[in-house]
Amino acid sequence: MKQGTASDEKSIIVEHLIKNFEVTKKRGGLAGSITSLFKPDKKIVTALKKISFSVSPGELVGFIGPNGAGKTTTLKVLSGLLYPTAGFIQVLGYDPWERKPDFLKKISFVMGQKNQLWWDLPAIDTFELNREIYEIPVKKYKEILTELTRVLEAGKLLDVQVRKLSLGQRMRLELISSLLHEPEVLFLDEPTIGLDVVAQQKVRDFIFQYNKSRKATILLTSHNMGDLIDLAKRVIVIDKGKILFDGNLRELVVKFAKTKLIKANLSEEADLKLIENIGEVKKISFPQVVVSVPREATAIAAAELLQNLPVDDLTIEEEPIEETIRRLFKGEIELLKNKKS
Amino acid sequence: MISNMGKYLQVFKISLGQEFAYRANFILWRLRNLLQIFLIFFLWDAVFSDPDTQLFGYDRSKILTYVFVLIFVKALVLSSRVTDAAGEVSRGDLSNYLVKPVSYFKYWFSRDVSSKLLNLVFAAGEALLLFILLKPAFFVQTNLLLVFFFVVSTVLAILIVFLVMFITNSITFWIPESAWGVHFVLMVLLEILSGVLFPLDILPDKLFSLLSYTPFPYLVFFPIQVYLGNFPLPVVMKGVFISFVWVVIFTYLLKKVWGKGLKAYQSYGR
Repeated sequence: MKQGTASDEKSIIVEHLIKNFEVTKKRGGLAGSITSLFKPDKKIVTALKKISFSVSPGELVGFIGPNGAGKTTTLKVLSGLLYPTAGFIQVLGYDPWERKPDFLKKISFVMGQKNQLWWDLPAIDTFELNREIYEIPVKKYKEILTELTRVLEAGKLLDVQVRKLSLGQRMRLELISSLLHEPEVLFLDEPTIGLDVVAQQKVRDFIFQYNKSRKATILLTSHNMGDLIDLAKRVIVIDKGKILFDGNLRELVVKFAKTKLIKANLSEEADLKLIENIGEVKKISFPQVVVSVPREATAIAAAELLQNLPVDDLTIEEEPIEETIRRLFKGEIELLKNKKS
Repeated sequence: MISNMGKYLQVFKISLGQEFAYRANFILWRLRNLLQIFLIFFLWDAVFSDPDTQLFGYDRSKILTYVFVLIFVKALVLSSRVTDAAGEVSRGDLSNYLVKPVSYFKYWFSRDVSSKLLNLVFAAGEALLLFILLKPAFFVQTNLLLVFFFVVSTVLAILIVFLVMFITNSITFWIPESAWGVHFVLMVLLEILSGVLFPLDILPDKLFSLLSYTPFPYLVFFPIQVYLGNFPLPVVMKGVFISFVWVVIFTYLLKKVWGKGLKAYQSYGR
């Protein structure tokens, strides 16, 4: 493969990636600490077990999985921070592990829990530093900075010492900082972590718009379902180092959702037992009753409800995606074999 | 090439800004420095209070000149920001730099240089204060060749300290908690063994000879003596050469240790 040329159509190619970590366990207690000093208990943990997927330029892919699933590890391997134990990876035609300057100039990694902004200085100083590091021409830098500042409403924040800002404000500045050099691939690791609901929405909206307007390839990890539902059309579900699902979010629900939700508004209080006979009661707060029923039985359950209870209003909804994914993680759903896109 | 230098110039600039970020801290730091210099000066002043005293081959004017030049050399060689690197490694902030097209060593060297330059400016101010208050005899070296070698040996000393500090900071890769302790021990050793507290040639011959096999004397003691013209030219050149060899040795060591450390860092996936 030629370096730097997109010989395929793909931005990112991952084939049979395995990543092992050597973990030293420290035994508890004083005696344990001393023993650990002389005879460390080492163990090999396989964080990624032969995963494969590829991403086309301009795609926005969401990685979802519980803590320790391997989401962050995947992003770190793709950005050159970790070396693969086995397998093939290629990003924008480069081998990330080589960390060539040309490659690094085309990517960006925002780690939700690790600031790159200098703590004691105003963000604008870190921006200037990045301008130099990425060798961005001054005119272009000013254009992009103005644009990003406008979109993220960060005008008043640029000259304030970073340590004086709130988490939400810092996150917006982190985003600006990582986009000044117009990366082709953007890795976002838990970008909404710790943010309040309003800030989360702002970040999501921004990412969505950025992906649409700049056609940057974006890989995003989260264990916040809201992020994925809003943003990613394509999701990759990872658990314990394996990909459980790779495809359209709607597909995931349609294929795997076993239940549907019936929401009914009652005109008067009713006997709980009657409702319990129809399905699993999820919520009762008069006048609303929410019942979960198996997919196949939806029509019958709805009919029964209408017949036996004083129903004012009734809607039928899909099982919440969170529920589907939760059951995926619990292994209640069979593994879907990886689709090569 | 020029655009490449720009990165590190920028690091230099914002590093300087960083130093001023905490005003109280900054003032206290300068005060501490000033106090230390005055203490050393008055110590030797007291020892040599009788102008005829000759001790360990030094008389009053010689020792006070030593202290005077010491102010500058110490400011340049021993001040370092590199210890902060240990913090960046243990918090995992190193990742932010690994993912950018910037050399971590050059980045830290730029930060170091900015700190040293700042130090030098203030040291000059403090030296001036000392001069006005105490009026010690001050010796100005006129032999340009010696001045040249003084500069070279100081630059080599700066490099050695940078490399050694980076190597000791690398311990953080394996033992995150140790950095502060190791740094403390190192600083104490440096101050004693490099000629900050006393000129090394007042030590008994055997000890001095032993010490000359270590890099310590070449950090502060040697550059000062070169400036003062206390060594004949062949000795000066030999000393500069040895300093250079130490730089080579530590560069090699750093590359090895850092390489191993980076692999360990990256395998823990912090």
